[in-house]
Amino acid sequence: MMNQTDTSKFPRYDKLITDARVHSSLYTDEKVFEDELNKIFRMGWVFICHDSEIPNAGDFVRRNVGREPVFAIRSRDGEISVIVNRCAHRGNIICQEDKGNTKALVCQYHGWAYDTKGALVDVPYPGGFKGDFSCHGLERLPLVDSYQGFVFASFNENAPPLLNHLGRATELIDRAVEMSPVGRIRLSGGWVRHQLNCNWKMLPENDTDGYHVNFVHPSFAQAIRSNYDEAVLDDEEGLKSLAKDWGNGHTELFFSPSYTRPLEWFGCAEDRHPAYTKALLAAYGEEKGGRILRDGPPHAVIFPNLFLGEMNIVRFEPVAPGVCLHVHTPMYLEGVEDDVNKRILRQSEGALGPTAFLLADDCVIAERAQNALQGKGRWLDLSRGAEREVVADDGVISSHLTDETPNRGFWRHYRSVMHPGAPTSGVSAVA
Amino acid sequence: MISVEDRLEVEAFLFKEARLADESRYSEWEALVDDDMHYWVPLQESQEPDSDQVSILNDNRTRLATRIRQLNTGVRHAQLPPSRMRRSISNIEIEKTGADEYVVRSNVVLYEFRRQATKELEVWPARVEHKLRRKDGELKMFSKHIFLLNSEGSIRGLSFII
Repeated sequence: MMNQTDTSKFPRYDKLITDARVHSSLYTDEKVFEDELNKIFRMGWVFICHDSEIPNAGDFVRRNVGREPVFAIRSRDGEISVIVNRCAHRGNIICQEDKGNTKALVCQYHGWAYDTKGALVDVPYPGGFKGDFSCHGLERLPLVDSYQGFVFASFNENAPPLLNHLGRATELIDRAVEMSPVGRIRLSGGWVRHQLNCNWKMLPENDTDGYHVNFVHPSFAQAIRSNYDEAVLDDEEGLKSLAKDWGNGHTELFFSPSYTRPLEWFGCAEDRHPAYTKALLAAYGEEKGGRILRDGPPHAVIFPNLFLGEMNIVRFEPVAPGVCLHVHTPMYLEGVEDDVNKRILRQSEGALGPTAFLLADDCVIAERAQNALQGKGRWLDLSRGAEREVVADDGVISSHLTDETPNRGFWRHYRSVMHPGAPTSGVSAVA
Repeated sequence: MISVEDRLEVEAFLFKEARLADESRYSEWEALVDDDMHYWVPLQESQEPDSDQVSILNDNRTRLATRIRQLNTGVRHAQLPPSRMRRSISNIEIEKTGADEYVVRSNVVLYEFRRQATKELEVWPARVEHKLRRKDGELKMFSKHIFLLNSEGSIRGLSFII
């Protein structure tokens, strides 16, 4: 640590977040935003990319981790490094293309050259360079790890292992990749960057909010017959889907209990993709394969910036207190016929992004909320359904789809990250 | 070379199409569309329509009908109230590709006042390619491809007819 952190200048998160409410300044305050970039996006684990985006040696993709420009690159030995996109000489962007393949990284300003692990290998006009090459490498994120091909990284070398951060939510990622008969997904479809002028936390909160659907998406419900009619649009007694808190800020809308037949989640007849059906049953057996075919993919947020959006993968990017990006790509499956991935692509274009039947409406509602929270602000109520939650043996909390269980799970973890040591009295703690 | 009459007719179609879109007159706009319509906003300038690359918008005729139906429900929050819009069309180049078919390339700058939440003026510059055919004596559009200049950048909500 370079110097003692002056905690007095930070907001009192333990006071601004309680079991039943959060204060709106958490969405608008510049200090909170800066503090989040440090405590959540630097000190914690952040989703970077999927390894299928960079399958070959020299493949790279650019990303932002909070405000830090980085890129992920695969070396000849297969290792993936996540490297700050900034020349060690005078700080210029070193990797200019959004994605591509390269043997070396050469700064366009003065020609300093680095290998695919960020080590300095060449300095033009070497006569004037008296430094040590080994001291002038690019800044690598000290922790990089992956789970089922999902690559996460952290600037904090002392962060707990990735599996600790994911906790029970590894099961959510497993459910996503097991939509493929070979257990592999492929993110090769390109990313659409949808800008919303709202705070980034509204994205994870809204994406696993089961209460808003009838009110924000009535035009969808009226115009389109879909699997969501059963899963999220029924009345309070009829809804079988569940809202879940998986701990560590990971949350889910669990639609599967609403589905009664195979491929209902895919919006098609159960005999529509016979080769896919057969492959899943062959790969996982009648029982588990049948369950996958009926249950469908997860609809879940992995804290802080990954959304397993059924057959889509989404990254959340904070830009400013009132600006964020919802960046999506279709979740293609390996080991399936083209028509399955074609359906995934068309559904992705329908559901997510700036023109989508669903997300365009969420976007306007979130931007209105951001407007309303300016100024002095107020307390936001998150108490819905707290008394009817059920805690399973494994600690996962379930409640009625419309209950604010995911919001409470998100904020409980947020508070523990932003204000370590804050008392958790009254919070239904997840071990 | 196309005739002056053809050119005037094609330009008049483009201007009418633009006006109906600007004024959110969804069903009147849809009446200009033929049965095999492809309405497309690709993510990349060089993208092929049938590639595995995701698009910002990619409607066949059925999905476009759904889009219009959703806008016409009156409860599509993303267009409540509808954006105020005006677009200018220029650099119109018309190629006759059959007895009664045209490919029309133009530059479009659309100004949008977003009234729904943030009350900002947004600008949408694009290269546009229409495909038109004369059917029962009237021009219909069976393809409209909109190549946004910033398609690979950060895109705000785009729930109107572009």
